[in-house]
Amino acid sequence: MIRRTHPALSVWAWLVYAFLYLPIVVLVVFSFNDSRFGATWAGFTTKWYGVLFARADVREALAHTLEIALLSTLVSTVLGTLVGLGLWRYTLRFRTALTGLLVLPIVVPDVVMGVSLLMFYSFVRQGLERTGWTFDNGFWTVLLAHVTFQISYVALTVRSRLAGYGPELEEAARDLGASGWESFRRIILPLAMPGVLAGALLAFTLSLDDFVVTYFTSGSGFSTLPVLIYTNVKRGVTPDINALSALLVLVTVVAIVAANALLRPRRDA
Amino acid sequence: MKRAALLAAAGLLLLSGCYRVQKPAQAQTGAAGQATPVPRGDGKTLRIFIWSEYIDPDLVKAFEKANGVRVVLDTFESNEAMLAKLQGGGAQYDLAVPSNYVVQTMVRAGLLQPLDKSQIPNLKNIAPGFLNADYDPGNVYSVPYQYAATGLAFNRQRYVPRDTWAEIFGPDDRRSFVLLDDPREVIGAALKYLGFSANTTRVEELRAARDLLRRVVAKKGFQGFDGGPGTRNKLLAKTVDLGQIYVGDLLIATEEDENVQVLLPRQGTTISMDTLVVLKRSPNPELAHRFIDFILDGENGAQLSNYTYYATPNAAARSYLDDFLKDIPALNPPAAWLTDGRLDFIGELPGGRPQRLYDRIWTELKSR
Repeated sequence: MIRRTHPALSVWAWLVYAFLYLPIVVLVVFSFNDSRFGATWAGFTTKWYGVLFARADVREALAHTLEIALLSTLVSTVLGTLVGLGLWRYTLRFRTALTGLLVLPIVVPDVVMGVSLLMFYSFVRQGLERTGWTFDNGFWTVLLAHVTFQISYVALTVRSRLAGYGPELEEAARDLGASGWESFRRIILPLAMPGVLAGALLAFTLSLDDFVVTYFTSGSGFSTLPVLIYTNVKRGVTPDINALSALLVLVTVVAIVAANALLRPRRDA
Repeated sequence: MKRAALLAAAGLLLLSGCYRVQKPAQAQTGAAGQATPVPRGDGKTLRIFIWSEYIDPDLVKAFEKANGVRVVLDTFESNEAMLAKLQGGGAQYDLAVPSNYVVQTMVRAGLLQPLDKSQIPNLKNIAPGFLNADYDPGNVYSVPYQYAATGLAFNRQRYVPRDTWAEIFGPDDRRSFVLLDDPREVIGAALKYLGFSANTTRVEELRAARDLLRRVVAKKGFQGFDGGPGTRNKLLAKTVDLGQIYVGDLLIATEEDENVQVLLPRQGTTISMDTLVVLKRSPNPELAHRFIDFILDGENGAQLSNYTYYATPNAAARSYLDDFLKDIPALNPPAAWLTDGRLDFIGELPGGRPQRLYDRIWTELKSR
C-alpha cells in the first residue's frame, strides 16, 4: 500500500535533512579550501590532506583509534551477542531489570560515564598500589571503557533481530537430532548474524567517534583522533583537522549505511 | 570450567597492563596524610599537558635533542577538563600549563609541588610585573609561560574603532559586534569600562555591570557570544565590525589578512596568564625543572611567541621577537599598565556570594 505524502511534508523533510547535514557538507568542502582559517574561499586545494598525513601525532592517534576500535569491537561483539542471546532465550526473573541495565550505558550522558570510569580506575589503582603493582591509564583502560558501552548496543541489536522467533526453533532443531552446539551454530547464530554484524558495525562507529569517555580514561601519551580534534577547538581548528574530520565522517557514514543494510528485514523473513 | 578459563584469560589481559611500582626515592605524603608511592620515571620521558598549538614543535625537538629525552605532549581544551583529568589521577604528567586562575585550585587539590628555584636560573628573565602575582605570591608553584590580553579586534577595511570600550558598551548602536563566550571576560570588560576592577566582589559594582550588559546584549548590533576562532573568522570575512578577542587568537590571522587588527582599550582590560607548573606526582621532576628553565631562556621564549603570537612575559625574549610582533602595542602593553591598574589578571573569585553573582549575571545574559 502506497500512501502519497503531502508535498509540503516532503519539503519540510528535506529542510530538516539540510539543516542536519549542511554543516558536515560545509566541513568537507572547506577541507579543500586554500586558506588557513577558512573564513573565506581562497581556491581549491588538496594540500591539507598532504599536511595531515605528514603529521606524526595524527598518524599515531589514527593507529590508536583503529587499534581500540577493532579490538573493542571484537570483544564487545562476542560478549554482547552472548548477552543478547541469553536475554532472548531464557526467561529470567529479572529480565526487565537486566534489559534496563543494558539500556543504561546508552542513555547515561557520556560525561557521567567518563568521569565515573576515571574514578573507578583511580580507585582500583589505589587498591593495587598497596600491593606494589600499578597501571597507567592508556590503551587498556580506554579499551575496557569502550567495551562497556559497546556491549549494550550489540546485545540490543542481537536481541531485537531475534525477537520475532520463538524458542520452538531450537526445540525443532533438537527434535531433528541436533546437539545444543549444532543448533546454536547452524540455526540460531545464522539467524542472529545480521544483528551481530550490525551491532559490531555500530560498536565500531561508536568507538571511532567517542571523545568524552576516551578523554577521561586515556592517560598521557595516548590519544585518539576525536581527542586530538576536540582539543584543537580552543585555538581554532586548522584545515588539516578539517580534512581529518572529513575522512572520519566518510568512514562513519560507510559503517552506518552497512549496519542499516544488515538490519533491514529481509523480504523472505 | 570454560567460564574459569575465560575469566583467567580476561584477568591476564588486564594484568598485562599493570606493572610493578619502582620503590620511590622518598615516600611523599599525599593530601590525605598517607604515604602514596610516587612513580619514578626513567628520566628519559617528559610528559606535558598543554593547550593545543601552544608550543613550537621545533622548540620541543630542540629540547629533546639537547637532553637526549623524549617529550610527550597531550592537549586539553579547557582548564576545567584538565583539572578533572588530573584529579582523577589517571594520567602521569610532569608539567601542566594551567591559566593563572586555576593555580590556587590546583594547589588546594594537592596537585602541585613547590618549585625548586635553584634549578631555574632563567627565572631572572621574567619581567618584574609578571612575578609575585596575586594568583601565586612568591611564585612558589608556577612560572609565567605566555599571556593573552583581551582586546578589541576589527577589520580596518570595514571599520576602524577608537581605543575605547565605549565602541561596544557606549550608547551608540550602529556597530555590529561579538563578545567572548566567557563570563569573566565579558563581565570583566564591562567592569573595566565602568572603571572598576575586573575581579571586583562589590555588589553595587557588579549590579552596575549587569545593568550595562543587559542594555548591551539588547543592542541591534549584538551578534552573540563566540570563542576566539569564530570571531576571528567573522572579522576575516568582514561580517562584523568589532570583536572582543584574545590578542593572540586575532594576530595569527594577520598572516592571511593584514587588515585585521586589534587594540587594547584605554580603560584597560583583562589579561590571563598561562603558567608552567610541576605536578606533585611528576615521575621526572628534575627534567620538568630543566624544561621550565629551557622555556624561560630569552631566545626560546621569543620562539614561542613567534609561533603562537601570544605575548611573552620574558624580558630577555623581547629583543628576539619578530619585528612584526614587536610593533604591535596590543601584544606589548606599556609596562606602566601593569602597575596602574589598567591590566587586571583574571583572578580566582572567592566562593559564596560574589561567585553566585557572576554566575547569575552570565546566566541571564546567555538566556536573554
